[in-house]
Amino acid sequence: MAGTDSTTQVALTAWPVPENEDLSPAEIAQQLYLLGVQRGNFRNITEDALQNEIETHVLIQEDAQGQHEEGHDKKPQNKKERLKEIDEIKQKMSMELTNALFYARAGLDLIALALSKGNPRVTDQFLSPPIKQLNVPREAFGLASAREEEVGPTEERKREILAKGTRMKALESSANNILKAAMQLETEVRKETKYWDQVLSISEKGWALRRLRRDVKHSPLAVRYGYTEVSDHFRHREIAPLRMGEDGSIMLDPALTQRPKTIRVRISEDGNITGASSLPRLDEALDQPIEKLIQLARDSLFEEEIYYEISMETRQLLSHGVELRNSIVHLPAPKFGNRSVSRTILIDCVDRVEQLSQSSNNSQDSLARNVAEALRILLSHEHRMRLHRRSRIPPPLSQRKQQTPPPPLLRTILSCFQHLSAVDALKGYLGRTLRTLSSAGLEVPIQITYEATWAILSKVVTEASRKEFSAMDRLLDGFTRPFDSIVALMLPSSEIGQHEKLTIATRTSLGHPIYGSEYKVTIPSSVASILLLPQESKREFKFSNFTELIAYIDWILSLDLSHNFMSRITPRFVGVDQESRCTVLIMKRKKQVRKEMIAQFSDGSLQVTLISDDPPAQAEYVWDGTGGQESFKARVMAFLKAN
Amino acid sequence: MYELLLFGQVPRTRHEQLLKILAGVAAMQPQRVLERHVIYKPIREPEEPGSNLKRGANQSVAQQKQTKQTTSKDLYFTRVVQTLNENDFGREVEKPTSSTGDSSDPKWAFHFQDVPDTGDRGVLMRLTFRTDIVGGDACEYMTSLGNNFVSEYYQEGHRFVHGNIVILLHRILQVPGARVVETAPTQSLPDFRTLEPLDPSGGYILQATIRVQDLNNPSILDGGVDELKRFKQSMRGCVELDVPDRLLFDTRVKYKPKNIANVGMVATQAPVR
Repeated sequence: MAGTDSTTQVALTAWPVPENEDLSPAEIAQQLYLLGVQRGNFRNITEDALQNEIETHVLIQEDAQGQHEEGHDKKPQNKKERLKEIDEIKQKMSMELTNALFYARAGLDLIALALSKGNPRVTDQFLSPPIKQLNVPREAFGLASAREEEVGPTEERKREILAKGTRMKALESSANNILKAAMQLETEVRKETKYWDQVLSISEKGWALRRLRRDVKHSPLAVRYGYTEVSDHFRHREIAPLRMGEDGSIMLDPALTQRPKTIRVRISEDGNITGASSLPRLDEALDQPIEKLIQLARDSLFEEEIYYEISMETRQLLSHGVELRNSIVHLPAPKFGNRSVSRTILIDCVDRVEQLSQSSNNSQDSLARNVAEALRILLSHEHRMRLHRRSRIPPPLSQRKQQTPPPPLLRTILSCFQHLSAVDALKGYLGRTLRTLSSAGLEVPIQITYEATWAILSKVVTEASRKEFSAMDRLLDGFTRPFDSIVALMLPSSEIGQHEKLTIATRTSLGHPIYGSEYKVTIPSSVASILLLPQESKREFKFSNFTELIAYIDWILSLDLSHNFMSRITPRFVGVDQESRCTVLIMKRKKQVRKEMIAQFSDGSLQVTLISDDPPAQAEYVWDGTGGQESFKARVMAFLKAN
Repeated sequence: MYELLLFGQVPRTRHEQLLKILAGVAAMQPQRVLERHVIYKPIREPEEPGSNLKRGANQSVAQQKQTKQTTSKDLYFTRVVQTLNENDFGREVEKPTSSTGDSSDPKWAFHFQDVPDTGDRGVLMRLTFRTDIVGGDACEYMTSLGNNFVSEYYQEGHRFVHGNIVILLHRILQVPGARVVETAPTQSLPDFRTLEPLDPSGGYILQATIRVQDLNNPSILDGGVDELKRFKQSMRGCVELDVPDRLLFDTRVKYKPKNIANVGMVATQAPVR
């Protein structure tokens, strides 16, 4: 059988019609859909027409076509108007539908509420969805009947007035609120303007502003009044926040209202204060402009830094007589000329308003002021040096840790004082000796240079040997180095044309290796030959003690006098020895008499002693600088001729 | 000594802004740096890469123990750097006969830089030597040491010092025009305005360097690396500092195999890498 080979079996009959005419909603929908596909729209379909169709087997399409032909001429216009009409009708329909839906839902709600009297759970099932969305607990629903009250005209009027009154009150309060807000805005604007004006004026004066804290978003502004190159001790003090106060002006931070400090330098002689340094008087009132306060704060910080660095440095200078007692630094001061008084310089840090000089004696004020100014200049020089050192390429990292020594503030001053006093002592001694010599008829030209760089100061300033420093720094750099002074004097026996110079170089440095003052004497070749030194040896001798130095110079001068001078006076000269004893043999009555003359310097006075053999006698003559004495040469000749 | 490096790139438009930012970070004014780099290459050709290792086996055992395998010596490009001023350009190069006491920094310096180390620390690390030449002619010295002149270029920029880090913001300038093969560095320096940047867009390079004395102490090395990394973190959002490929800094002379002229020789040559 061929039928068994096919895959499917098909029966070509009509779809079975269900028995009952009642169609379920799904089937109705299906039928409607099929009808729609078959027919198109349902507009012009009536029951009679359908009946006719069944009978006559003619599809009703003429109506649409007939209408279609009629409106053929007015087609474009009709379309627009039709569209508009369609829109209007659409809207009306949707409105009607919404209304219908509303009323239907209201009715549903009413019934649900009525039913809920007995059983509250009913509300879940029957309430319309919009009400259900309000999420009101179902126990809150209820239905109660109330009687509509009849309100008389007076009552009604009262109610009206009440309503009006509350409305007026509400409007008034809202108006008040708005007014208050406006006023507050105005005050805020004024405050902000004032604040920013002040901040702008501060910034225009050159102070650097920045935010107080970087991580917080709205941190207040702060002004930086410290220096960049301060040491670590003062790092945390360099900014002061600027907060807005009550009326917009800047509220003064405690950092700015502290009493400003300053360095006070006092000179004390034997316990009495004889001089003090002071800064110009401050205006006490606190309502100064903010820039002035910031400037005062900066100055005070600077002074405090000076005091801190000085007290650190004192520890290293204890061996030089500097000490820190009762938070006052005691510095031994030089004795310029006046030797009997022991002077001390006292440095401390006090409030600026307290520095009125209480003592009556102000003789040393200038010295105190100069010391204070010197400290300030040296500290700012140190700041610049720190910047310069920081800008150099750093050495490679290694285990050696480099320690920065404290800045040379006190060291420079001490060293300067010591140098000046050393040179002064030398100058005093030489002055006496020269007076003595000139009273003895021996003129000795002398040249004193206090300090090598001070003599060529203008050249140092104008010439730029190291271009990266400014002129000020080059000047001050010379102060931080050891001081050199040169004194050159001719020997008393040297004649015009000879250049036999005796040079005394004084070098002062508080550090290694000198630790104080050092004198270096260079003797001329003639004296060197007297001392029997070999020709090529260095003719330099170093002394660290002043008394040793003057003893040596005394000896050199006496040697020179005896060897070079006395020996040329007398023809019958025999020998000189190293004690400046000049031996002369004189023929006296056919006998050789030995006479010895000793020339000696001591403490500025020149003494000539004559010792003769036969008869044994001893005579002396002293020059001590007072005028009116006979010359050395005459005296010597007199000695020789004397019996 | 060793250098720890980080590099970043800066476009032309951001150069001034970055100068101001770095001045604020380092709390100092920028120092102008003008240098002339002259590169030299050794005359001697490098050997074949595998030639130091012995091929074949030795019959005698005793001999094996005696002959040591030598490590191959690398040949490096070296450079001589001259620091310049703005007004040195357009003039004859002065032959330094004696060291004048004018400037405290010597003008010429000899730089040697090794290939950067492998290993990822987050920073580039390389051995470097720098010798300042106080007197004499540096170029003649290099030539007499057995080096050939390769090329020269100019480097201009600004330098800051931030703690231990040296920050250099620079770019490379060249004499414009066709590249002429030169055999000696120029005697007279060209006018500064005629120099053109090597990078046509005018971009700058930011280089952050820390020098470490030696690698004996790992804590010091770590401290240096940390400092560089902290600087990189603080510059984040402004300039991206990064570690470029280490082989870009390779200063070794590469081995160039000879031309294949003789077929017989090819068979005995080691294969080219």
